Amino acid sequence: MPENILDPLPAADMTATDAVLAAAAAAAPPEEAPRDGYQVRLEIFEGPLDLLLFLIRKKKIDIHDIPIAAITRDYLDYLDRKTLINLDREAEFLFIAALLIYIKSQMLLPRETDLAEQDDPRQVLVNRLLEYQKIKAAGSILREREEDQILQWRRNFLPPLPGESELDFEEVSLFDLSEAFFLMMKRRSAADTRIIKGRDVSYEVKMKELFGLLNDGRVLDFLAYFETQESLEEALVSFFCLLELVKTRQAVAVQDELFQTIRVWLRKDARRTVAHE
Amino acid sequence: MSSDLKNIIEALVFISQEPLTLDRIKTVLEGAPDEEIQAAVEELLKDYEAAGRGIQVVHTGGGYILSTRPDHDRWVRRLLQIERKNKLSAAALETLAGIAYHQPVTQAEISAIRGVDSTYTLKSLLDKKLIKIVGRKKAPGNPLVYRTSERFLQYFGLNSLDELPSEEEIGKILQEEKSSEA
Repeated sequence: MPENILDPLPAADMTATDAVLAAAAAAAPPEEAPRDGYQVRLEIFEGPLDLLLFLIRKKKIDIHDIPIAAITRDYLDYLDRKTLINLDREAEFLFIAALLIYIKSQMLLPRETDLAEQDDPRQVLVNRLLEYQKIKAAGSILREREEDQILQWRRNFLPPLPGESELDFEEVSLFDLSEAFFLMMKRRSAADTRIIKGRDVSYEVKMKELFGLLNDGRVLDFLAYFETQESLEEALVSFFCLLELVKTRQAVAVQDELFQTIRVWLRKDARRTVAHE
Repeated sequence: MSSDLKNIIEALVFISQEPLTLDRIKTVLEGAPDEEIQAAVEELLKDYEAAGRGIQVVHTGGGYILSTRPDHDRWVRRLLQIERKNKLSAAALETLAGIAYHQPVTQAEISAIRGVDSTYTLKSLLDKKLIKIVGRKKAPGNPLVYRTSERFLQYFGLNSLDELPSEEEIGKILQEEKSSEA
């Protein structure tokens, strides 16, 4: 599983940014010393809540009684350390900054009566932080389990053995089937033979014929089968039958590799209904 | 009969692509008393544990499946020519944990819990089949609703969602983190 490729892009952007910053810092005279002992890069945080939790822990603050002004100052300080802007990520961090300032403003408002505990403007934030903290902790437990599990290989999670990738076939879509059909039609028209046939082919008859061919778990080579069709009409009818079978999930169509023939067989449960008929 | 039963179950587990549930075993072995099947399964597990073999029967994803032993990871990877097995990213793990505890959940809800837009992460988890779409929420915009999948359970060696880390386990972790900083 190519984990890193699928990660949200911002993280990758950020590391590039960092490299630039580091280079700039190395070039500049060391007058701008770290503002405090905790020079932490913003991108190591999963998000604004993660950063907030970090600040709360660092200052050994009780999560249920957060000094909003102080924590907001710290928080904005961290945001300031970033000079280059990545809008998506920045917005998420700024949103929480705005929330912090909003909460502070709410707390400053004069009120006639003292607030009940559940009316504390900080409560919304506290609840979010507690929930986030819980998820993060659960994630770290799951990480341990993951590390334990990935050492135990099971065949159902197994990637194909090296050099055997041709075994990695997958079910084809109706579009692949159509494509193969038109490819076949092209081949036929290139043959340039004209035979006039008067026989009508019905859907029902063709369906029976197909079931006959596919019975007992036999596998049909899609292209080879069409080669045997006598007329365009007959080929079309059999193609529709096949589409119907795939659509009603009675048959499976599988292509080993691009541009190769498509093989068709009946699903197990479909075989049983055929037997009953 | 009982050792017969054990051997049959071993064969069934061997051939099974996905964790073989006890119910499934019972259906196949129709007629055999439940207690005998249960005992045979347990004996089978014990056999594998005792014999010091390269493979083991594990109880995961609600069923039984064969896996290699952890000690042999190195050799398996050499065969498969895999340098190391990819782990989930921190973002993916956090999102998964969020979904696991809040399911069924929408993209907006999970993003709100994390404080981070989770669209990409959800997509990557869907690709890995660790989560699945179970429908749409009857709310403005009819957003898609996500749940963790069977594969999620298997991936973490869980048998059901009940085996997710409990409040106590989480509390313990949080306590440890606090004291490690003090």
